[in-house]
Amino acid sequence: MSSAVRLVAVLLALLVAVPALAHEHPVKIGYAIARTGPWSAGAQVTQEPNYILWAEQVNAAGGLNVQGKRRKVELIGFDDRSDTETVVRTFEKLMGSDKVDLILPPWGTGANFAVMPLAQKHGYPMLAPTATGRRLIDMKNPYFFALLQQPDRMMGALADFLAARGVKTAAVVYVDELFGLENLTALETALRAKSIEIIDKKSYPLGVKDLSPVLRDFKAKNPDAFLGITYPPDTFLVTGQAKEVGFNPKVFYAAVGTAFPVYKQRMGEAVEGVTGLGTWNPRTNPAAKAYFDAHVAKFQKEPDRWASAHAWAGLQILQHSVEKVGLDRKALRDHIASTEFDTIIGKIRFRDGENVATPGIVSQWQKGEFEVVWPQDRATAPALFPKPAWK
Amino acid sequence: MGLWLDLAVAGLITGGMYALVAIGLNLQYGLMRVMNIAHGEFLMVGAYLAWWAHTTTRLNPLLALPLVFVVLFVVGLVVHRLCFRRVAREAPSVEVLEARSLLVGFGLMFLIQNAAFLAWGADLRGYEYLAQPVEIAGARFGANRVLVFGVAVAVSLALLGVLRVTLLGKAVRAMMQSPTGAQLVGIDEKVLHPVVFSAGLALAGVAGALLSMIYEISPSMGEPYTVTALIVITLGGLGSAAGSLVAGLLLGLVETFGTHVSNPSLKPLLSYGVFVAVLVLRPRGLFAR
Repeated sequence: MSSAVRLVAVLLALLVAVPALAHEHPVKIGYAIARTGPWSAGAQVTQEPNYILWAEQVNAAGGLNVQGKRRKVELIGFDDRSDTETVVRTFEKLMGSDKVDLILPPWGTGANFAVMPLAQKHGYPMLAPTATGRRLIDMKNPYFFALLQQPDRMMGALADFLAARGVKTAAVVYVDELFGLENLTALETALRAKSIEIIDKKSYPLGVKDLSPVLRDFKAKNPDAFLGITYPPDTFLVTGQAKEVGFNPKVFYAAVGTAFPVYKQRMGEAVEGVTGLGTWNPRTNPAAKAYFDAHVAKFQKEPDRWASAHAWAGLQILQHSVEKVGLDRKALRDHIASTEFDTIIGKIRFRDGENVATPGIVSQWQKGEFEVVWPQDRATAPALFPKPAWK
Repeated sequence: MGLWLDLAVAGLITGGMYALVAIGLNLQYGLMRVMNIAHGEFLMVGAYLAWWAHTTTRLNPLLALPLVFVVLFVVGLVVHRLCFRRVAREAPSVEVLEARSLLVGFGLMFLIQNAAFLAWGADLRGYEYLAQPVEIAGARFGANRVLVFGVAVAVSLALLGVLRVTLLGKAVRAMMQSPTGAQLVGIDEKVLHPVVFSAGLALAGVAGALLSMIYEISPSMGEPYTVTALIVITLGGLGSAAGSLVAGLLLGLVETFGTHVSNPSLKPLLSYGVFVAVLVLRPRGLFAR
């Protein structure tokens, strides 16, 4: 069943359930997210399934606890068609004319960037699980909270991980786009601090279909580590082509998409020993395991091992805050900004809208699970180093 | 020296993929001027069929190719009957046919993308097949990429043969050059038109099925392929099977060597550079007659 149909089903179920508690209006939570178009692959893996699962669990437990009163959650979700204009218009309608009680963020840095000023204008707190970039944080928007680790944290952790294993040289590819450029800058700074030399770096455009010339060059230069600041389709491409050309450095790292379950399905045995951006897995803690199982039971698909759990953590934070301070959005914002929360990915605390409690993390595929291998206090398994040969 | 040879083979393999993507549209637009802008969407459907057959029944993706061909051929007959038959019959000139079929194609594009979304969801999908490397001239290439190259060359040559040598090929070309004249000498346009259109659709599907072995698939994967196909057939000369193949290979080589000496980010600049250069020197394409 598609998620659109599923959503309709959820909404219908709500319609049936709501009259029973007619004395309490449901809490209306609005959002626009990509169900079609190029963003939908990310949005439908990482983000919207969490909204639907959360609403279902909350309602099954009797509703959202609003300062002691139970009220059902009603999700009002629209397809933004992967179009920034539509994102902005839909959120303007939800907050400006429909006056929903709360909003949930859209998918991706660009869409969040576009909605942030609106959220501030209408005073809606926004807990974004799929937005990264110093530029967003630097806007100092009091209503915006970024749940993901920012580039300097992630790249810093990567550099620490490499230095701890005696890596001296690295070759880098990066996507020619805001995400790639910002992470590249962070990576260069972090590697320089650890005296790791970048012996070659190449950029590529989104939607590239062949990176084998670059990988053949890298292979000839024989670096200790390959570091790819890549987006999902290209993450698959570099992995497959590195295997094809037989480029097997001691560390093979690719960024967004390595944490997706489809990466493992698609690449098969080849993923063994590949490192990438991650935060958690079902072994992280019992709450994470419960979340994982509920997600699989509901959607017959696994959540991704990076931002999915951040999305869930954001919903947990919203839920805790509403329980404490109710639906007064200014009070909500202040509570979110000043409280340390316990979530499935551990403590989360915000400073100027940035999650400063979750460290940068390196994960690695080992025997079918994306194990956390760095930092030590979060590790669910020791790192495989050097990476084994491609299978 | 070894690296340059590697790059040459890599470029040819990429170029073969470009040629493959263009074959179906070349039949529809190149030969019949039906501007089927939903070409990439039918390619996407072919990719999904192969993926779906492989993941649900473990069907070997190679065996899925004839299946995809047949299914999309039938789909092609239906689509032609519903959408393009009237457009083709009532267009007073080739230009009007192009314009009207373009609009119909746009509509189809949205319909098919959304149908695929409803059927399979927006998730990235993929499977592993023939991903192990094979050695050619001392360098390693993905077996699935080599396969795509082989199929692209074989189908292009077969098409070239059919169009040049057989009576059927002559009839198809006649239908394009002079519809009235073709009818006068007994060519049954009512049969030939839908058959050629459907063959184009079926070949788009086969291309998609082959690409699903290499790349991840999603409902929105089609549009870039339509653009690639348009560039290749325009570059090669509309309707020329040999032109399409050469144009595809040329683009592949230019991009591979270009990215080697410069940067992959300059790839669009290189391919559009070639496109513009050819159009300036030979406005009707490399192999136009």
